Amino acid sequence: MPEPGGWRRYLRFWQSNIREDVDDELRFHLDMHERDLRAAGRAHGVAREEAERRFGELQQVREACIAIDTRRRELVRRREVMGDMWQDLRFALRTLRKSPGFTLVAVICIGLGVGVTTTILSAVHGILIRPLPYPKAEELVAVYARWTHSGTIENGVNISYQDYLSWRNDNRTFATLGMYTWEALAFSGEGEPERVDAASITANLFPLLGVTPILGRNLLPEEEHQGKSSVVLLGYRLWKRRYGGDPSIVGRTVTVAGAPLQVIGVMPQGFAFPDRGEAWIPFVVEEHIESRGNRQFAGAIGRLKPGTTLEQGQRDLDVISKRLQQEFPRENLGWDAQAMTLREDLVGDLRRPLLIFLGGVGFLLLIVCANVANLMLTRGAGRQREIGVRVAIGAARGRLVRQLLTESLVLAGLGGVLGLGLAVVGIRLFGLAMPNGLPWYIPLRLDGATLAITLGLSALTGILFGLVPAFRNTDINLTGALREGTGGSGEGARRARLRSSLVVAEVALSLVLMIGAGLLLKSYRAYTHTNIGFDPKGVLTFRVSPPEAKYPHSEQRIVFFNQLMERLRALPGVEQAGGANGIPFSGWNVQAEMTVEGHPEHPQGEPLDVHYQAVIPGFFKTLGIPIVAGRDLSPLDRDTANRVGVINETLAKQEFPGEDPLGKRIKIGRLADKEPWVTVVGVVRDFRHYRLPQPMGPAIYYPYYQWASYTQTIVLKTSGLPANLLPGVVRVIKSIDPDLPTYQVQSLEQAVNRSLWRPRMQGQVIGLFAVLALVLASVGIYGVVSYAVAQRTRELGVRMALGASRGQVVGMVVRQGALLAVIGVGAGLAGAFALTRVLATLLFGVEVTDATVFVGIPVLLGVVAVAASWLPALRAARIDPLVAMRAE
Amino acid sequence: MSALTPAPALDLLKGTLDLLMLKALSWGPAHGYSMARWIERLTADAFQIGEGSLYPALHRLEEREWIESEWRVSENNRRAKFYRLTSRGRQQLRAETANWTSFVEAMGKVLRTTEQPN
Repeated sequence: MPEPGGWRRYLRFWQSNIREDVDDELRFHLDMHERDLRAAGRAHGVAREEAERRFGELQQVREACIAIDTRRRELVRRREVMGDMWQDLRFALRTLRKSPGFTLVAVICIGLGVGVTTTILSAVHGILIRPLPYPKAEELVAVYARWTHSGTIENGVNISYQDYLSWRNDNRTFATLGMYTWEALAFSGEGEPERVDAASITANLFPLLGVTPILGRNLLPEEEHQGKSSVVLLGYRLWKRRYGGDPSIVGRTVTVAGAPLQVIGVMPQGFAFPDRGEAWIPFVVEEHIESRGNRQFAGAIGRLKPGTTLEQGQRDLDVISKRLQQEFPRENLGWDAQAMTLREDLVGDLRRPLLIFLGGVGFLLLIVCANVANLMLTRGAGRQREIGVRVAIGAARGRLVRQLLTESLVLAGLGGVLGLGLAVVGIRLFGLAMPNGLPWYIPLRLDGATLAITLGLSALTGILFGLVPAFRNTDINLTGALREGTGGSGEGARRARLRSSLVVAEVALSLVLMIGAGLLLKSYRAYTHTNIGFDPKGVLTFRVSPPEAKYPHSEQRIVFFNQLMERLRALPGVEQAGGANGIPFSGWNVQAEMTVEGHPEHPQGEPLDVHYQAVIPGFFKTLGIPIVAGRDLSPLDRDTANRVGVINETLAKQEFPGEDPLGKRIKIGRLADKEPWVTVVGVVRDFRHYRLPQPMGPAIYYPYYQWASYTQTIVLKTSGLPANLLPGVVRVIKSIDPDLPTYQVQSLEQAVNRSLWRPRMQGQVIGLFAVLALVLASVGIYGVVSYAVAQRTRELGVRMALGASRGQVVGMVVRQGALLAVIGVGAGLAGAFALTRVLATLLFGVEVTDATVFVGIPVLLGVVAVAASWLPALRAARIDPLVAMRAE
Repeated sequence: MSALTPAPALDLLKGTLDLLMLKALSWGPAHGYSMARWIERLTADAFQIGEGSLYPALHRLEEREWIESEWRVSENNRRAKFYRLTSRGRQQLRAETANWTSFVEAMGKVLRTTEQPN
């Protein structure tokens, strides 16, 4: 494109006056014509007249020309504005290209800030703010039982069917209440048998939630009664996966848990309940669940009447519970109902970590802002002279501000793009941090709202950090700016102070984040270093459930498991084998009130609650748990008339202090109950069973062959990789019962590791924030010190010329960086002491004022600060005094 | 201006005028007055239009960026607005000339023909 000039310059004619120009042009024509006519011999007056006559309608021509030119001026003006913007943009890109270091650091800083912020905001939005995917989800309430006694409160306990009926029928605040309990159903026939998470639900539950099948119908109330209950609702994915999305599936009979069930409907895509359940059968009222004290059902879900609050609902249930306590003291003393929003129930335990992440990300964003502001100020100072020159040669201030602003917006835009990319990755990582991925009701994604927030944030950072330095940079004293470099002006000192305070703030904020991360990581270490009391290495675990329909008698199940264990033990690579109802860290939690023979009964309301389960002998050996007294359970313990059991050390110490527990008898329930007595034949060392940090309480283990339940989790010990055993296992089970699925296959190490996902994720997220903060803070220190060195080149040169050694110069520069770090650390420590208290509930095995963390982290930060000032210091030491003094 | 001049000719005239001015400028920058004289001389006043009509036409051509203008000092030392062709204008001139020529040839052929429509 040729330089604008010559003819083109007149495209900018809009500064001129259109009317005057048109008049001048037309007058010139008439004057010239008159002159020529006179030269041709016309008389004075006649010549003008003839020129005008030949010209025609002067006024019309004039107006037409003016109209055309006005129109054209508008067009040109618009084009100029666009051209200016384009020019500013190109100018910004050119200047940014000229300082790639600055551009790169600034873009990375903004990108990190925006990326991390967007990730956390997306998580907070998706988990805590966006309504659950049910219509009018705010009305939905989860109801559990609550055990309150002598100061101890146990929340979220399973409920009993009778209590549920009372709550449902007697309340005045709920439109309706439904109930569900967890199931796992084996689908067999057609193709591989498979086990799916499922639930048995009351017929009103899905209508209450507001979900409708896409095929067929919901359950009917009469299907809750035995004999009419052979129906099943399928989840969308199960339908697609197992039945190829057969559109005529409704009415077909499928084999579930060994029994034929009729498919009555298919639920919509994406829906799962509860959590990951994808098949639903009617909740059937059987005799044994009629007891009010039988609290074994997962929970109830209610929909509040429109306009009713959760508190009103809770008060309503409290009234009912109080009445029930009086009516049924034996079953209900100490029990009441606990209502919480469905969201609280589903994601409530994520709230605290998420809010802490939000706080952490706020800190990080502040650090990013301080860093970018610092970079901009430093750069602004460096360009003061350039801008001074441009002002001196007549650049308009508005235009200059616009150019600087364009530059910041370009930086922010680039940073925003980077941040968006990071956020996409971050959100994916966040989903991966949860075991089994995200549940369906947390659709974590980068949605319109978070996208808007990202773009808003990057634009805001751009404007903030563009505008302030832009005004400051253009509002400069001309003579001062042109003389800049002679150093020591008041303006320069003020900027230096501002930059230093920004760095101090960065260091302080970083320290708080780092200490928080230190505490959380130390806490995670405490988890992983907890002595869990068993050896999970080389142990494969999987569950098997012979269905009731096919194995109704305990003898059949005993034969099945006997055969299974025999064949598994014979597999190559299997060193030990056993089983349990629920292995450690699996969430299995069954306790019952127990009574010891010859001991006074525990008073009502202070029962001896004991964890109990049936284990297939070999379980303790497989997990490497020693028997400390008596004997282990044996495959020969089959006589149900002489039941035996092994108790753990806690139960032994608690109930038999100074006594030998061996030979003593224990039973489930109270003395009067008709439960069988169990003789203690051994004591096993305590091991952790529940998710840390929950300790193991008293426990008793029964031999499977005397308590033949349906489900067992098999454990196999190998010296190789646990996964290598799997093909053999599948073959063995097929050989015994080809319809039986193997499920929840994992190594015991995985199971333990998985249960620690929460402390691990907390440590990782805040740890990542801390690393970013540390990097940003050191970049900040490096930037300020380098700039100071550049400004002081002459001074340092003079000092060296006067005899200062290189070491002294290095020391001087490093001292400056160290001073900033020390002030920052001081402020940060104060902040950390005040703020890390919010972490208290997330910590395990570490105090909120842990000395190692509170000393180690500041030292680490100090070392990094010194290192960050070291590089510019070395550059300062290499200054040639002669060159430095001749500079300027 | 003769009252006998048929009115429909004016429409034809408009496009013609544009072409005439592009042609007039093909020798180099000129102001409106000199173009009016050039047209008068060459066409022997065949069009009989008011000379003033040149100016809206010129301004329109400038709006279309076929020509550009510049104030310069004229031969008799007066400030005058000079026009010149842009490269787009030059292209336009070539295209219009070709059109015009083929139009005239076609018309001429028709008007000279002895063949009678059936």
